[in-house]
Amino acid sequence: MKGIVALARTHLLTSLRERVTLFWFIVFPVFLLVILTLIFGNIGRQGGMNFQVGLINLEDRAGGGPDLAGIVVEAFTAIGEPRDGKEPLFTLHRPGPGEDKQGFLTRAEEELRRGKLTAVVIIPRGFNRAILSGERAEITLYVDPTRDGSQLAAAIIREVISGIDREILVRTGRFDQERAVPVRSEPLEGGPVSFSYASFLLPGVILMAFFTAGLFGVPGAILYARDRFQLRRYWVTPLTPARYFIGFTLGQGGLCLLQFVVLFLIGEYGLGAGVDFSRPAAAAFLLLGFLTFLSFGFLIASIARTANGGMAIANILNIPLMFLGGLFFPLGELPGFLQAVVLVNPVTYIAAGLRVGLGLTKGTISPIASVLVPLGWIALSILVAARRLSWEAA
Amino acid sequence: MMALLHAEFVTFARDKAALAFTFLFPILFIIVFGFIMGGKGNPRLGLVLDGVPGTTLLSVLKETGGIAVTRYPDRAALEEGIRKREVDFGLVYDGKALVFVYDPTRVQDNYTFEQTARGISTRFDLARQGALPAVSVREVPVVKASGNWFVRVVPGVIAFSILSAGLFAVSGHLTMMKERRQLDRFLVTPMRPVYLLAAIAGVRLVVAYVSAFLSLLVAILVLHLEFSVDWVRYAVFVPAATIGSMGMGAVIALFVRRPESAGNLANIVAMLMMFLSGIYFPVEVMPSYLRAVSAVLPLTYMADAMRDVTGVMEISAFEFWGITAALLGLGVVLLPLLSRYIVRADRG
Amino acid sequence: MTAGNGILLQVSGLTKRYGEVRAVDGISFSVPRGTVFTILGPNGAGKTTTLEILEGLRAPDSGEIELFGRRIARVDRREKARMGVLLQEGNFEPYLRVKEVIGLFGSFFPRARPVNEILELVALTEKRNAFVKELSGGQRQRLALGTALVNDPDLLFLDEPTTGLDPQARRNIWSIVADLKDQGKTIVLTTHYMEEAETLSDQVCIMDHGRIIAAGSPRVLTARLGEETIIEFTAPGMIGVPVVPSGGKVRRDGDAVLVEVTDLVPALRDLLAWAHENGVPLDNMIIRQPNLEDVFLSLTGRRLRE
Repeated sequence: MKGIVALARTHLLTSLRERVTLFWFIVFPVFLLVILTLIFGNIGRQGGMNFQVGLINLEDRAGGGPDLAGIVVEAFTAIGEPRDGKEPLFTLHRPGPGEDKQGFLTRAEEELRRGKLTAVVIIPRGFNRAILSGERAEITLYVDPTRDGSQLAAAIIREVISGIDREILVRTGRFDQERAVPVRSEPLEGGPVSFSYASFLLPGVILMAFFTAGLFGVPGAILYARDRFQLRRYWVTPLTPARYFIGFTLGQGGLCLLQFVVLFLIGEYGLGAGVDFSRPAAAAFLLLGFLTFLSFGFLIASIARTANGGMAIANILNIPLMFLGGLFFPLGELPGFLQAVVLVNPVTYIAAGLRVGLGLTKGTISPIASVLVPLGWIALSILVAARRLSWEAA
Repeated sequence: MMALLHAEFVTFARDKAALAFTFLFPILFIIVFGFIMGGKGNPRLGLVLDGVPGTTLLSVLKETGGIAVTRYPDRAALEEGIRKREVDFGLVYDGKALVFVYDPTRVQDNYTFEQTARGISTRFDLARQGALPAVSVREVPVVKASGNWFVRVVPGVIAFSILSAGLFAVSGHLTMMKERRQLDRFLVTPMRPVYLLAAIAGVRLVVAYVSAFLSLLVAILVLHLEFSVDWVRYAVFVPAATIGSMGMGAVIALFVRRPESAGNLANIVAMLMMFLSGIYFPVEVMPSYLRAVSAVLPLTYMADAMRDVTGVMEISAFEFWGITAALLGLGVVLLPLLSRYIVRADRG
Repeated sequence: MTAGNGILLQVSGLTKRYGEVRAVDGISFSVPRGTVFTILGPNGAGKTTTLEILEGLRAPDSGEIELFGRRIARVDRREKARMGVLLQEGNFEPYLRVKEVIGLFGSFFPRARPVNEILELVALTEKRNAFVKELSGGQRQRLALGTALVNDPDLLFLDEPTTGLDPQARRNIWSIVADLKDQGKTIVLTTHYMEEAETLSDQVCIMDHGRIIAAGSPRVLTARLGEETIIEFTAPGMIGVPVVPSGGKVRRDGDAVLVEVTDLVPALRDLLAWAHENGVPLDNMIIRQPNLEDVFLSLTGRRLRE
């Protein structure tokens, strides 16, 4: 018994002392959690985005009347001003006084193409007259459809203009605001109303940490110990492989527990994830994840002949399984071969099961599948490991 | 010198991990990430007309254009459809109110869907009151390539793989050689350390060329993307970027002595750059301090230049040659510092 | 056949095959309590397999083992608890501290000596907080010896304990082993170094091709060569063999020439005369008593260390 405890402690200690493992098992997950939350946690919030927008007013106000084009310009200028000390949504680029507008337009188009501007808004000549005469005035919007940012900016600009449009219609008595249809947005049933990316990401990163620890930690520790004849020194003592295995598993459990605690504290108190891990289903899926990835590591250790071979296999499996398991982003429909990876990937089921268990989503995977597929992998791993895993260097 | 080149090459080819990282990773990244984040076509709307004919709504949706509409019998079916990603978001209309239904986990897309939803409700309101919009928007795509989001990602990934290969060539490989006392063996020969560096750089150049080319090939053949590569610029930029990246790796190697730590730092640097250089995620949606970081990251500019080389985006000739020269300069200035590092063999 | 009271380990008819190859071919020997028993032999002679069977790493195909007064089919946990093993190859976790390694190995045994005692014994007290990866070769070997002693074993296996160490580190290990012998420990040793075998061993057995070809105390074994003296010199590129009319066996061994003689004075006179006539300089000439290397050479015609 004391041998098992000492082995568990050894595995935990050496994992934390070795910089490579400390980095991949603890530092990297923390880094990923923080950086992804910083990037995606603010989408749509004031101060969290900024677009470089070109604005050109070509209206010459021939024919007089109220300056409607000026209202549009003012609306954009208002958005372009910092509010509550926060950065504005738009940083406007307008032709300077006396600058040739056509020249500016050509340059703006060029800058949009070169990625310096996100979108360009052009108020055409005859804008006022068109509206006043009841025709439809058309504002031209230059966008780069290959850029996400440009498309997002275009969506916001369209919304701004439709607000101006409504305002004009109301003022000209063509639209009755009172009779407007009430509009509201509702999340999918089963999901929380206040949803943050951090709460979606935190369980994913915790599972990623478990996954990395299992995938790399198990073959790494065991195969290196075997190939460098560390294990041989154990086998000449009364220690049996069975006890070694139990001690190692306990140590790995301790490592995962530590990962969980660190990530939970940072996610919960640093990033405000607000996830309730005390739910029994969530705890059960964390445990299932730990066991599945542990046995997955043993599966790799059984297949590989040498430690380096084991690490190579783990490296090749790592990226597709991690990203095609829905850990960081929800997965949509993927083409056949990738969808196949998603479907056999145990990460998919555990991540989905954990998020359902946490009450974050309702999920499309049946609870039975999200338990049975990982259990199937565990069974397969045990079977292969029992037949093939050698405790002696070849 | 040739022998050294050969030895360097054989070492590289035998290192399976290095091989996998250099050739397999960028391709895997392009494919996997591309499909996960990609497929951003027109938004797909699931519609439920709850006991009303909804003729006006239907015609508004039809007029709007750019939105693919799928009808569902009831809200439960709609929600199932959203969950299964048959549609991106939903709309339920019962004659009294418009209710938009969304999947809160799609944090990256929901903002766009929300804007689309608002547009629909505005047009619907106008149509119901028989009003025509006074102002409308005409969108003009301004883009060099006839491509989509994905076309833009590929050169970014290639730039990233050049960067990480260069970083690791120095921070991983060289510090490892030092720790294993392999450098000492070179030092006892009359060989000048610069030659060793030149050999490493030479091999990496070839590797970067092949790797970048393979990635492009996969993108073209497997993903059916179109690029118009400027081979002259390609021939100049890829070596400059490789040497520049190795120069950055040299900085890491000079600051961090231990190979593991150097490797880890290189990893963090590479990841940071990948996330913040606008390769996958638009820089515009990041908070200002992250945008400030993005503006000083070399990868931001390397990706721009690579997009230019592949004809995805156009930057000015001044910028392109500026970036290329800066990268080359970075390498030429920083790499020789390493030869002093090699000589200063610490026997601790 | 039962071992007498004084016998700690007795092996008879021990056999281990790998496919068609008989790595160990029916060997028998016994080790009295409190003695050092050395197995000599070139690589591939079956030394390592024999030790692996006795250390419990492999099961024999046939043969009997009697250990600690019990007859057993293979060495198992019960025996391992009373044994200490220093393997020829082996490492420890690089990121464990010296004291942690000793503590870890101690935890595998039902009873273990205190860590500090072991550290004292193998002279690593000062290095107790150092990581394994910071140790020199000699220190690592002493640490390995420490893990073999952690259970205060009755029987100690030392497989090539000083191979690859510098002379100073080697002498350190020898003095520890000599102390252990004085404490009455029973030791089974394999080695490549004749000096080591001759100074430490009570009994030596020489193995070749899986069999024991000679056994006895070092003195008895060398005495098998008779009352002979060996004249050795080097003669690179020499053609022809020296003629010693007064009698003597002449062997070439690389550049070295060995002349085994019973009557030294006339043989030496003949040899000098021959050297004078043929212009052979007789470089590095020494006159010495036969050692275990000579025993092996005379038995097999080959050297122990190839």
